[in-house]
Amino acid sequence: MDLAYTPEQQDFRAEVRAWMEANVPKEPLVTLEREDGYHQHVEWERKLASGNWGMVTWPEAYGGRGLDLIQWLIFEEEYYRAGAPLRVNQNGIFLLGPTVMEFGTDEQKARFLTPMAKGEVIWAQAWSEPNAGSDMAAITSKAIRDGDHYVISGQKTWSSRASFADWGFGLFRTDPESKRHKGLSFILFDLNAPGVTRRPIRQLHGDPGFAELFFDEVRVPVANRIAGEGEGWNVAMATAGFERGLMLRSPARFQATAERLVKLFRQHEAKAAPAAREQVMQAWMDAQAYAYNTYAVASKIMAGGHIGAEASLNKIFWSELDRAAHRTAMQILGASAELRHLNGGALNAWLEGYIFSLSGPIYAGSNEIQRNIIAERLLGLPR
Amino acid sequence: MDFSITEDQATLTQGVRDYLAGVHTPEVLRALDASDSRRSPDVWQGLVEMGLPGLLVPDAEGGLGLSLLDAVLIAAEFGRAGVAEPLADTALVAAPLLAKAGGQEALLAAMAAGEAKVALQHPVNPWVADLDGASHILSVEDGALLLAERSGGAELIDSVDPLRRLYAPVAAAGTAVGSADALLDHAALIAAAQLVGVADAMLEQATDYAKNRSQFGQPIGSFQAVKHHLATAVVKIEFAKPVIQRAAIALQENAASAPVHVSHAKLAAADAAWAMSETAIQAHGAMGYTYEVDLHFWMKRAWALAGAWGDRAFHLARIDAAVIGGALPIGPGHSFA
Repeated sequence: MDLAYTPEQQDFRAEVRAWMEANVPKEPLVTLEREDGYHQHVEWERKLASGNWGMVTWPEAYGGRGLDLIQWLIFEEEYYRAGAPLRVNQNGIFLLGPTVMEFGTDEQKARFLTPMAKGEVIWAQAWSEPNAGSDMAAITSKAIRDGDHYVISGQKTWSSRASFADWGFGLFRTDPESKRHKGLSFILFDLNAPGVTRRPIRQLHGDPGFAELFFDEVRVPVANRIAGEGEGWNVAMATAGFERGLMLRSPARFQATAERLVKLFRQHEAKAAPAAREQVMQAWMDAQAYAYNTYAVASKIMAGGHIGAEASLNKIFWSELDRAAHRTAMQILGASAELRHLNGGALNAWLEGYIFSLSGPIYAGSNEIQRNIIAERLLGLPR
Repeated sequence: MDFSITEDQATLTQGVRDYLAGVHTPEVLRALDASDSRRSPDVWQGLVEMGLPGLLVPDAEGGLGLSLLDAVLIAAEFGRAGVAEPLADTALVAAPLLAKAGGQEALLAAMAAGEAKVALQHPVNPWVADLDGASHILSVEDGALLLAERSGGAELIDSVDPLRRLYAPVAAAGTAVGSADALLDHAALIAAAQLVGVADAMLEQATDYAKNRSQFGQPIGSFQAVKHHLATAVVKIEFAKPVIQRAAIALQENAASAPVHVSHAKLAAADAAWAMSETAIQAHGAMGYTYEVDLHFWMKRAWALAGAWGDRAFHLARIDAAVIGGALPIGPGHSFA
């Protein structure tokens, strides 16, 4: 164990910091859950890509920099330190990207990864269906083979980014006679293809962050299938592993929240409830613990190890610390917490953040599902 | 930057775990509990033969010269096995402090050989553990750490932990070997490390019980309510471990921020162990409320260690001064400040 950064790592940090300071928008963007904000965020993705910062851990051949996970953590720290915008393409770069890298053909890698890293194609996820949420094996949307195409019919829902994104990915039943985990395939589709209808869904905050998708005999080339026909479940499980595992929520995000919370508490110290003081300290401690753990996991992966069911521990920890930190802020704000804008016009970021934090324990596999995974796979309790 | 333990460290830790699982069984704990002294020369001799008292004693004095990172990994194994002998205080707290102080070669050699034991007296605790069996005592006066041969003073104080032997403090005396704060930080770190081992032991017992106890025609561990209690405890335990390792490195390197990280470690470990203790008794149901099930040894150790070497208020105050007070840089990019 050596908890000092090398001179090369320090140089890299300085390089990221300089670029972020020169390029991060001075004014916060409009929320990416709204059409105008979505386009602002896409523009930011393209700016990042112009600096070759789209996805630093990816191979150079696909628009990355071929960096290791410690460098990725440093990049993320500088990204959040600079207050840079949320990643509108996170479904692509953090979930689909690693999946294509692991399961895709060379042709698929060239076709999908480079435009993803460059922010040219923005991706939506399409896992859930009205009757298949936590129980994803209950999926009924079908993709029926017709020559070198699939014909997709059915419905997806709660699809993040699908109101405005370009492409989507999800699981479809390619064997109509199959049940549960079998007979599913992982398929990528153009959201603008004939037969796809999007119905934006207003989220808790009032903006259409996700959408319902209706498929009416949508023709999708077989070449858009990742891995073999009927192997979709295993591919999706790997994708879900990326989602709740290392990449989706880097510790820097929560360290930034904890830092803001400490500052908020200092401003309101005189009137804050006694318990708030301890909750603020807990937020800092938990964000730090999450950072240490992430550095430990990154070190393990770099040494050839991998992350399995332990990913469920991460997902519970970050989602619940995020909710607690924002709840603390809401309680410190007291009667001002409900206001949409604070300080003469600025968006009440604590309110927005609290609303978003409520989704953390639900998406990427609800925390109840994660607790089942921990109990059954880590502790070996019976199903 | 590399946040991982080496293969050697993992092997050594596993070796200690396997050894203690063989010689320091729950039967041993029950036998000690039934004895007057709650201590056993045979058990101590077994620990000496494994070389455990010398782990942090320098090579030149017959030890292994290991680091504080090794110490926290080993301390967790002491906690897991419920070790009652005064091994952690002498081997993992006093040894590195005396090695750093210098000039204590003879004592360190005797400690490595298992012939000398050092009791730790600090004003943060209203008691001294294992004073009667100690050959030496570290105590505090005016912020200085003093070393002396132990003499007299053996007024026993009752602890709920049947295997703890607590005594009233004695008058401080001796030669200066460091600072009171150094003793507190080392001892709090080792207490934190033992606490996660204690928690892991309770988790294992509760999980085994949940697998084997049937109600309504099935193992109670198949019920989601039981699963989720245990899973929640696992999250707390696993996220305390890297905090302890990070604190060990900070203290080993004499980082100015080390006390903050030790306090974080102590709070995280105590919270995890305390939560695990309540989860474990709940999983055991009425069996857990008996003295016949071994769980109580670890549960009581968790309560004891949680309050020892700085309680919640003490460690929160140090976090408060650093984080809210602004002495420590925080936020992204300050993961290792």
